[in-house]
This record gives sequence, C-alpha cells and structure tokens, in this order.
Amino acid sequence: MSEPVIAYAGLTHLGLVSAVAAAARGFDVIAFDPDPIRVAAIARGELPVVEPDLPELLDKHRDRLTFTADPATLGRCDIAYVAPDVPTDDASASDLGPVRALVDVVARALGSAAVLVVLSQVPPGFTHSLPGPAERRFYQVETLIFGRAVERALHPERFIVGCADPSAPLPRAFAAYLGAFGCPVLPMRYESAELAKISINVCLVASISAANTLAEVCERVGADWSEIVPALRLDRRIGPAAYLAPGLGIAGGNLERDLATVCRLADEHGTDAGVVRAWLANSYYRRDWALRQIHARVLDRVTDPTLAVLGLAYKENTASTKNSPSLALLAALAPFRVRVYDPLVAPRPEFHPRLEAAATPLDACTGADTVIIMTPWDEFRALRPDAVATRLRGRTVIDPYGVLDRVACRAAGLDQAVLGAPEREAEA
Amino acid sequence: MSRGGVGLRHQSPEPTDPARVVVLGGRGFVGGVLLGALKHAGIPALAPTRLDVDLAATDAGDRLAAMLKPTDSVVLLAALTPDKGRGVGPFVANIAIGAATARALEQVTPAHVVYFSSDAVYPMDAGRVSEASCAEPPDLYGMMHLARETMMEAASRAPVAVLRPTLLFGAGDTHNSYGPNRLRRAAHKEGRITLFGEGEEMRDHVPVDDVVALTLLVLRHRSSGVLNLASGRSISYAELAGKIAAQFERPIEIVGTPRQSPITHRHFDVTALQRAFPAFRFTPLDEGLAKAHREMIGSA
Repeated sequence: MSEPVIAYAGLTHLGLVSAVAAAARGFDVIAFDPDPIRVAAIARGELPVVEPDLPELLDKHRDRLTFTADPATLGRCDIAYVAPDVPTDDASASDLGPVRALVDVVARALGSAAVLVVLSQVPPGFTHSLPGPAERRFYQVETLIFGRAVERALHPERFIVGCADPSAPLPRAFAAYLGAFGCPVLPMRYESAELAKISINVCLVASISAANTLAEVCERVGADWSEIVPALRLDRRIGPAAYLAPGLGIAGGNLERDLATVCRLADEHGTDAGVVRAWLANSYYRRDWALRQIHARVLDRVTDPTLAVLGLAYKENTASTKNSPSLALLAALAPFRVRVYDPLVAPRPEFHPRLEAAATPLDACTGADTVIIMTPWDEFRALRPDAVATRLRGRTVIDPYGVLDRVACRAAGLDQAVLGAPEREAEA
Repeated sequence: MSRGGVGLRHQSPEPTDPARVVVLGGRGFVGGVLLGALKHAGIPALAPTRLDVDLAATDAGDRLAAMLKPTDSVVLLAALTPDKGRGVGPFVANIAIGAATARALEQVTPAHVVYFSSDAVYPMDAGRVSEASCAEPPDLYGMMHLARETMMEAASRAPVAVLRPTLLFGAGDTHNSYGPNRLRRAAHKEGRITLFGEGEEMRDHVPVDDVVALTLLVLRHRSSGVLNLASGRSISYAELAGKIAAQFERPIEIVGTPRQSPITHRHFDVTALQRAFPAFRFTPLDEGLAKAHREMIGSA
C-alpha cells in the first residue's frame, strides 16, 4: 500500500508539533484548523507556539504539509488526529466542548475507511462516548513536554492506543503510520489508555513531590539534595531519568489538570485521593519558596528595596505563563520596585504595578538588592556570578534551580539560595 | 483545586481608616493594646464594658445591636481564655458571648467584622500550619473558636475577617500560660525558669504589638477571609528560655523537668500573610522580648 495520508486537526501546540513531526517522518500531512486566520499565519511561518527546532523543521518539510481551514480537504486522509489543546479553568477542570466540536467537524468530513484518533488530553470515558463506528475510532496518548515537544514527537518512547477492541488488529494504515516511528505500540481499551496518560503524569508528580519534600528537609538539616540525586538515579527502582529535580511546584496546566481529574474521579466513585490532594497542597507551598526567601533574606532587612526578577515563563524554552510561579511571586511583591527580564515573555503592567522591563539580565540586576531567577533559561546559566555581583547593590541571589555556579557565587561574595541546598551554607 | 479562597481578600485595596471601631473585649490583653493603637491613630473607638452590655446576658444581643451603626467595624475579642479552664463551663459561656454578638450582627449589618479566633482550631499534629490546614480542634476551647468563627460568618452580611493568632506575649499579659510572659515572670521572681521536659517543643511567639499592627491593617483594608497571625519563625522553649534569661543581669537558672507528655511542635507557613501585607515586618523576637522585659521591669 502507499504511505497513508495523515491529518492533524486543531493547530495549537500539540496538533502543530505533531503535524510537523509526521511530515518530518516522511508522510503527507493535512494540517487543519477551523480558524482561517490561524491557518494563514502558520502558513506564512508565523507560529503560535515557541518550541526549539520547530520553525526549522516546518521549513524543511513544508512541501509535505498542507495547511487548510477547509474541512473538505480531510476527505483524502487515511488517519485524522483530533489534537486541539484542551483549555482548563482556574480549578484545572478541562473544557471538553472545543475538542468535542472539532471531533464532529472532522468525523463529518472523513472518508468511509478513514480512522479517527483523539490525541487531546481527555478523561476516561470520553472516546467511548463519541458517536461513529468504534472500529475506526481510537484514542492515543500524547506526551508533549513544553520546550521538548519536537524531540518527543519525533522520537516517542511508545505509542499507547485506546481501542474499542484491543485484541483486534489495528487498521493497516494506522499500524503503518505508528510503525514508522520504530517504537512499541501498546493497544488497550479506551478507558485504560485515557487513564494511562493521567497515570504517567501522576507518577511524575509523585516523584516531583518527593523531591520537593526532601529538598526542603535538606535545606534545614544541612544536607544537599544535589548530592543525593545521583545516588537515587543509580537505583534501578527509581531510574536515571526520574523526575528528581526540585522545583517551584507544579505549573503549566497539564499536570494540574490530571490531578484534578483524579480527585474528581475519586470523589465520584468513592476512592481515596488524599495523597493527590497532599501533592497539590505541597505544590502550592513550594510555589511560594522564593517569596519566603525574599522576605527572610531581603524584605526583613532592606527598606524600599529594588528586586530583579529573571524569568516569567513557567519553564524554560516556552512563552507559556500558565500557573507560572514567577507571576504568582510578582503578585505578592506589589509595594516594591521590580525590574524584570524574560527572553520570550514581554512584561505586562497587569503582572505588577511597579514593573520595569529590562533589556538584559544584567540590566535587571543593576542596583537591585537581590536577583530572583524564576525560570531556568540557558541564557541565565550563562551569566557570570562576578558580573552579577558587580551589578547588584545587595549580595543575595535567590536561585531556586541553581542556574548560577555555586562555587563561583561564593567566590563572588554572593549569598545564593538554592532549592535543596543547605540554608546555613547560603548564610555562611 | 484552587486555593483562591485561602488567605485574605481586601475590600479596600487602598488603606482607609474605619469610621469607628467597636471593640468587644477591650479590657483584655489584646483589647487594651488595640484601643491604645486606635487612639494613637486617631480612629474613634467604642469599647463597651460589662456595665454597658453583659455579653453573657440573655438580652445582650439586643443591647449590643442598639449600640452598633452600619458604618462601624466590629472587633470581637471577648472570651474566657484557656487559663480560666478548657472545660464545658467556659465553652458554654464563650458560645453565649458569640451568640449574643451574632444576634446583634443579624440586626445591624456593620461595615466590617473582625473575629479574633485562635490557632487552637488546628490539631497539634497538623504539621506546618497554614490557612489551608484543616481546622480540627482537639479540645472544647478550639471547638468554641471554630464555632464562633462560623457564627460570625453566618450572622453577618458584612465582610468578616477571622484572625487566628498563635502564642502572644507582652508585658501587659495577665495570663500565665506557658510562654515568654510566664518564663520572664518566673525568672524575675525566682531566678529560675522551669521547662517542660528539656524545652524541646518548637513554637512561634508573636509580640502583641505586631498582632495589633496587623489588626489595624485588616481594619483599614476591610479584609475578609482567614489569616493566621504568626511570624513563621518557631524556636524551642529551651532557646526561648535562654533569650529571656539573657535579659537579666543576674544569672537565671534554667531547669528541665521529667516529661509528662509527648513533644509537639508548631510551625507556620505565613505566605498568606506575606501576600496580604507584603510590606509588613514582624518585630525580631529578641527585640520584642527585650521590650516586654523593659516594660515589666519599668512597671515593677
């Protein structure tokens, strides 16, 4: 058979990256979105998301990509992925209306033998509830990571596929497409696959929460989490790629959504989700780590301080500020003068009433009583601590991720606070 | 999932002096300092005495309502404190005070209500305590405060701030519970501080002046919600005893006693307070203890 034609519907983060990755794998791809303005912008190379390597990859494989807002174009595809990002509200609950509406649009346009695959993050039971022939309706787990989405889409670890009948072979075109990526394919029932996606994130949160909890103990008892992590990674039960880096709580929206879904399912079905609620409480608590450090190290000691904040995005290599610890911090510093720099996110007045945008990280530091590095961008890792020390008026560096070299900070006379590092060392 | 309901919300983002503050319990330790601060700030205050209205009497609600104006801010401090006992009697009396106040608030909606609760609403095994911690009082005293919190919120259509102070100290404190006041008085009188066990328990001690300063901020912002009044810095009783002993010129003996009960600790996460009042600074403990010491010596 000839190579199947693949369609991705919904050109937000997930759909766009997946479509470009499919083209890079050698498939003809229809990239569809019902919004013609969005489609036109993407076709001009104006991408709505920031991902390393995405513009280059799109440029390189443009001849295999058809961008369209016309659903009739979907009639010539063999496999149609429905992949819009699913928005969440303030309580991290998913709004499934848009994905359901897009499924309707796509299903009406498909040929009689075409396969429909839901790729968006949906709760257990969603795919089962959709109308249409079950033997050509699937759910596939996405494992997009902001900032590493292209790499993940090109080289997935495995495909988890939810099916009406896991014992039945996958349609030939679908099997051929998945097979092109050379990774294991795990068919299972719809609900298992949908819950597998949530399970992955819950396991990651469990790891992160353990790291955050123990990192704080380290800070108080004179231990150093960065010394403990290598020992944990060599334990086969934990593993070399385990999520053990302490952070400022859970952000970005996706993990929070899955925890909310587990709590909702547990409440609905009478199962115990106490530990999940404890992780959420821990996440909120760790989000404010930098605020506590600033109060203890600067605000309790300095009158009318100037604060430099580096980083607004919720993590590096993205422009997303969803649940960003940096924005939560700025909201708690309203009375103080704040100078801000982020490589991608432009400071906005609603972030803070006395915000000044700086042109460079060092400009932000100039004359400040402290610098707080809220996003671990590579650009900040390249800063020389002695240059920071020269610009700062104060000596305090709040550096949760330890992006500045700790030895060099000490040599430059900086008092550096790092997640999981002993407080006494910072104060020494 | 959201913690949007935790902490305070300011009805007046810009601080504005209240028209008048009605202080119920103005003759107590905190009430006295609060009235002094209101006077110093030029804010009119009314502090009814028991002769004006006996909050334990059956007609107290009506009598109190007759005193209230819709523009008032009402601060409820009146309570029998734990040193008067933690049994059923004080519980019922305190509930009666709360019920009378609630009846008055049902009749007259003031501009703002501030209820002084206690960190006794939290169990001692709660770990690090924040406003999101589950309030599961371990005794009738804590249960009383939790019930009165609910009474104020149910009775009043005005914004209600619930303040949950931890251990307070100040020279004017007439109570003698285990804390800086008792330790200082014992050192002054006997030249000795006696600890439970070896004084291992960690607690957060807050000067009354800081509690009153925070109360003024709450009044000026017409804040609503729950706020713990704690510094976020806990120390052991042994360390506290050492700090208090160091205030005296003569040597003070610090002695332990055989432990009668398990060691418990209390630490606070004060980020809700830091978010509500970012510019507020707690008095350093050494400074607060020194002031209380000077005032005690000065009044002796």
